[in-house]
Amino acid sequence: MRKILLRLRVNGAHHEVAVRPSATVLDVVRDTLHLTGTKRGCDMGTCGCCTVLVDGRARLGCLTLAAEVEGCEVRTIESLREGEQLHPLQSAFAECGAAQCGFCTPGFLMTCSALLSRTPTPTPEQVKDAISGNLCRCTGYTKMYEAIDRAAAQMRTEPAREPELSSREAVSGGSR
Amino acid sequence: MKRFEFVEASSLAQAAKLAAQPNGAVRAGGIDLMDLQKEHLAEPDRVISIRRVPGAAEIREEGGALVIGPLVTLAQLASHPVALAKWKAVAVAAGEAASPQVRNQATVIGNLLQRPRCWYFRNELLQCARKGGPDCLSQEGENRYHAIFENKDCAIVHASNVSPAAMLFDGSVKTVKADGSRREIPLAKLFVKPEVDITKEHVLEAGEVVEALVLPAKAGGDHSSFLAAREKSAFDWPLFSLAVRLEMSGNVVKAAQIVFGAAAPTPLRREKAEAALVGKAIDEATARAAAALCFEDATPMTQNGYKVAMGTALTARAILAAV
Amino acid sequence: MPPRPRRPRPLSVVGTSPPRLEGAAKVAGTARYVDDLEFPGLLLGRTIRSTVPRGELLGWSMGRRPRGLHVVSAADIPGRNAIALLEPDQPCLVRREIRHAAEPVLLLAHEDRDALASVAVELRERPRKAQLDVRASRSFCKEILIEKGNLSRGFARADRIVEGEYTTGHQEQLYVETQGVIAVPEKDGVTIYGSLQCPYYVQKALVELLSLPPERVRIIQVETGGGFGGKEEYPSMIAGHAALLALKSGRPVKLVYDRSEDMLATTKRHPSIVRHKTGVRRDGSLTAMQIDVLLDAGAYVTLSPVVLSRGVLHAAGPYRCEDVQILGRAAMTNTPPNGAFRGFGAPQTQFAVEVHMERIAEALGIDPLELRRRNALRPGDTTATGQRLGADCSALPCLESAVRRSRFVARRRAIEKHNAKARVSGGPLRGIGLALFFHGSGFTGAGEVKLASRAALELTPTGARILVASTEIGQGTRTILSQIVAEELGWPLSRIEVADPDTREVPDSGPTVASRTCMIVGEILRRCAQSLKRALGRMTPRQYLAKNGPLVVTEQYDRPKSMHWDDVHYRGDAYGAYGYGCDVIELEIDPVTAEVRPAEVTAVQDIGRAIHPVLAAGQIEGGTAQGIAFALAEEVVMRDGRMANAQLTNYAVPTPLDTPPMQVEILEFPYGHGPFGAKGVGEMPIDGPSPAVVNALRHAGLDIRDIPAVPERIAGLVDSMRGAAT
Repeated sequence: MRKILLRLRVNGAHHEVAVRPSATVLDVVRDTLHLTGTKRGCDMGTCGCCTVLVDGRARLGCLTLAAEVEGCEVRTIESLREGEQLHPLQSAFAECGAAQCGFCTPGFLMTCSALLSRTPTPTPEQVKDAISGNLCRCTGYTKMYEAIDRAAAQMRTEPAREPELSSREAVSGGSR
Repeated sequence: MKRFEFVEASSLAQAAKLAAQPNGAVRAGGIDLMDLQKEHLAEPDRVISIRRVPGAAEIREEGGALVIGPLVTLAQLASHPVALAKWKAVAVAAGEAASPQVRNQATVIGNLLQRPRCWYFRNELLQCARKGGPDCLSQEGENRYHAIFENKDCAIVHASNVSPAAMLFDGSVKTVKADGSRREIPLAKLFVKPEVDITKEHVLEAGEVVEALVLPAKAGGDHSSFLAAREKSAFDWPLFSLAVRLEMSGNVVKAAQIVFGAAAPTPLRREKAEAALVGKAIDEATARAAAALCFEDATPMTQNGYKVAMGTALTARAILAAV
Repeated sequence: MPPRPRRPRPLSVVGTSPPRLEGAAKVAGTARYVDDLEFPGLLLGRTIRSTVPRGELLGWSMGRRPRGLHVVSAADIPGRNAIALLEPDQPCLVRREIRHAAEPVLLLAHEDRDALASVAVELRERPRKAQLDVRASRSFCKEILIEKGNLSRGFARADRIVEGEYTTGHQEQLYVETQGVIAVPEKDGVTIYGSLQCPYYVQKALVELLSLPPERVRIIQVETGGGFGGKEEYPSMIAGHAALLALKSGRPVKLVYDRSEDMLATTKRHPSIVRHKTGVRRDGSLTAMQIDVLLDAGAYVTLSPVVLSRGVLHAAGPYRCEDVQILGRAAMTNTPPNGAFRGFGAPQTQFAVEVHMERIAEALGIDPLELRRRNALRPGDTTATGQRLGADCSALPCLESAVRRSRFVARRRAIEKHNAKARVSGGPLRGIGLALFFHGSGFTGAGEVKLASRAALELTPTGARILVASTEIGQGTRTILSQIVAEELGWPLSRIEVADPDTREVPDSGPTVASRTCMIVGEILRRCAQSLKRALGRMTPRQYLAKNGPLVVTEQYDRPKSMHWDDVHYRGDAYGAYGYGCDVIELEIDPVTAEVRPAEVTAVQDIGRAIHPVLAAGQIEGGTAQGIAFALAEEVVMRDGRMANAQLTNYAVPTPLDTPPMQVEILEFPYGHGPFGAKGVGEMPIDGPSPAVVNALRHAGLDIRDIPAVPERIAGLVDSMRGAAT
């Protein structure tokens, strides 16, 4: 099948990629853009490991076609920190023991960042509901709640940090 | 996943025309379609996206009815204040489906039209009756999750959360066909029983695209209830589900609607129990009596008898919650 | 080595909770797992599997072959067609005999995923009658008998005899990263990059399979997304497959399973049937315990003999009894082989004994808490194998602490009042249950002596570098081992580095299993640090290196002199140390929908010394969540010898909404031969939750003896529960 040319905006950078129409967002960020922080856990929409933000909403990379996010702003885990400066959620996950094996962690972090950007002071129930589409087998979730609370508190006291959008235009060829 | 061509339609009529050509499939949220493609149960050569169709992602109120476009997501409906106020069971049902990420993408219409979750159907290696095989494999097999009504030919349970709730409001879908003609199909006539055609779950023709789900306003919509029992609290299809709406006159029921979801291959109206409620005040006893009536004709299988007790109790609870 | 005297100085690194060493990479998304690695010319692999549970492979045919397709069959194996582990019975690829319905038969590789998927292969199999019922199987791969005292004497002293049978099902490890490896062909051998727990196990298997000397089979563990035992043995299989494809094609080959294949084909927790016959006096003291343990090994031996061993060694629970007989058998069936899963046989047998204890209390009409208090092991008591327990035996302190923390007695009374009302109103019921348990750390009996693990420390200009094959799989190996070394050297943590587990670089510190990494490997490393300190004297590392050149100190496992084990009669010191724990779990049960919601969990566990309290608590929380789901939700549905629900949509792993808040308390009863007193922590947390949950269900009136107690199963009992109440 013919490849199609897509213009995607991922983490603030523009990419022109040639991919098969069946390529998912997960396929493209991992295999074409080499952004491997987004994980493939089940490829069927059931584990949340591939969660990315599409126009600020948590979406499953494995069930979203790349062709469908043309014109949208896609954000992956790689965009969460600013240079070497971890996002408060990232530091809190690392400090609280909310990441063990780490494989589900990027998905959780993206889900949580969508939650906190919309709901800076979530109730415990809102947090539980928000992350209910992400699976973790290591932690029993307890330390995640602690981490999310800590990050939310820190983000409320710090001036809001809008992610810097890079104006750099990156072009990479499709390798699939 | 088999490769396919991806095209974007600029209107639903165009999508219908494209989808009517051999082996086309319309994609809105695409959740179930993609699942089916990855499981090799659907292998379209051409996928027609409707994501750029203007206005398709809107929820409107028109002449007192709620009109839900084909790109409206479950998350949108679940948090829609008007829907929550007047079509409560529908919004609640939408908000309980799947997981937050899926609800951000999955559409309401897609939820109505999703294919069954029966594990024999979903297993690409097995040929069940619904896939053209000789037998319904659940009859002799593992049937704990299967139907307890109308289950002789095929024992899938209807998979949609939204449809039983939508049927409380005598909802209908408006469609456009490949030839440009339009029709409106009441939900009560949308779904196909296995005895009529075992290979499909709805009457839509090849290429026929749903333009909107229309939900007329009904008395009691603000108290209408949707209840489901599940094994897991998130991302799980129900073991049993139902929706109830009561129109009250004082403390007496003027009219009632009870629709079962995950109980039979199609959503199931329970008219006998509805009639029994009319003219009565709702208390534990009337709710239980009506619930028992709902299961008179149940035909549980070897492993799913538990659903009768579970469903009876859940039905009584839903009736009490709808007052 | 005699137990060390108490250290006078307070600990400065051990007992603190710095962020895990690789934590920043994990939260940044830069940690590289096997599927994230790229190699030029990489091919993707695919496995063709048998479809019948038993039979013969007669041949195979293949549809159109895309150009560039590589195919490997059993005929391509240069060495022995077996996965070397305990027994060489499991082939790497089926030659003729098929023993389960997911056996690898053929391997394919191609550079294009879609092209690879499009290849149609048809196997010609002649089915034979399969044995799918473990109770009917007469083929045992291992039998173990433990005898203590005189059983008939014990029963003669009893006032009452209580019997019961308890069963547990399969459980899938469900590490979130599926199994995966990359094999890279080298000039004279092969290198494996893999998601795995035990690099040297994989090396041993590949040496035999490929007929290569060990130095030409290099195994490198990369960041691993969870294991829970599931990546103890299976990586040898998948690495073998990738290596065969790589050697045949001459190109690197990546083999990463999708979720469904992972669930269908890889090992799971052994299903168990445990029967108890117990003599007990009116006052509650146990006079005789006769226990029969049957495990379903599946189609090949894999690790079943040692799983059975740990199972029987924990079968009597943390209780004192002078007259004991425990018979264990592992039976073969035509289902995919079962293997290691956190707890390794102990969760199954302790489920049985802890539910049985509750039934004994009922039979005697005494408080189950009192029954446990009376019989709990104390220092100086002996276990079923006659092991005399030291001062660190903390069963009673764990019990009392959990009872206190959870306000068990008051809650139990309140719940009984609540339930009396709820039974009338039809509202949700509650139940509270308790379980006392223990878990041996390290390999069983003489296992550690046989392993003879080695660990090393290399002096660097700024500090020291840890060289071990013990892997980080999420549990915190890198961090805690560094803490132990830093503490012993009196250095800050930042001066310690950890080498990647690479068989070319690191000595064989044994497998990362059996709750042994901290207690056993940590202690060897502590001794390395001692030696290093001695060697350094007053010099800084830089001065030492300048003067003497490189320094690597290696130490080997040293058996505590007091430890003795008789493997023939199963007598003696089965484990160097035991951790103890007590879980209290409170549930809410909807009598309408049969849904059970764990409401509160208290987990008190003695782990000797928490090297890193946050990571240790994380182990306890995660293991507890898995244990609750083992009891309530996770059901592997086997149909014709094949997992029918091999999808995450049908296999119910707990989501955040299913997981209750947990209150964890760590007790520290130090073990003299563990680093700074540490015992193991990884496995024990999964022993207690399932009996605690089932005892809570009992408390609410549901007589459950088989798990998982999924809603369908509970629904059948709800009526009897109501009937009992009215």
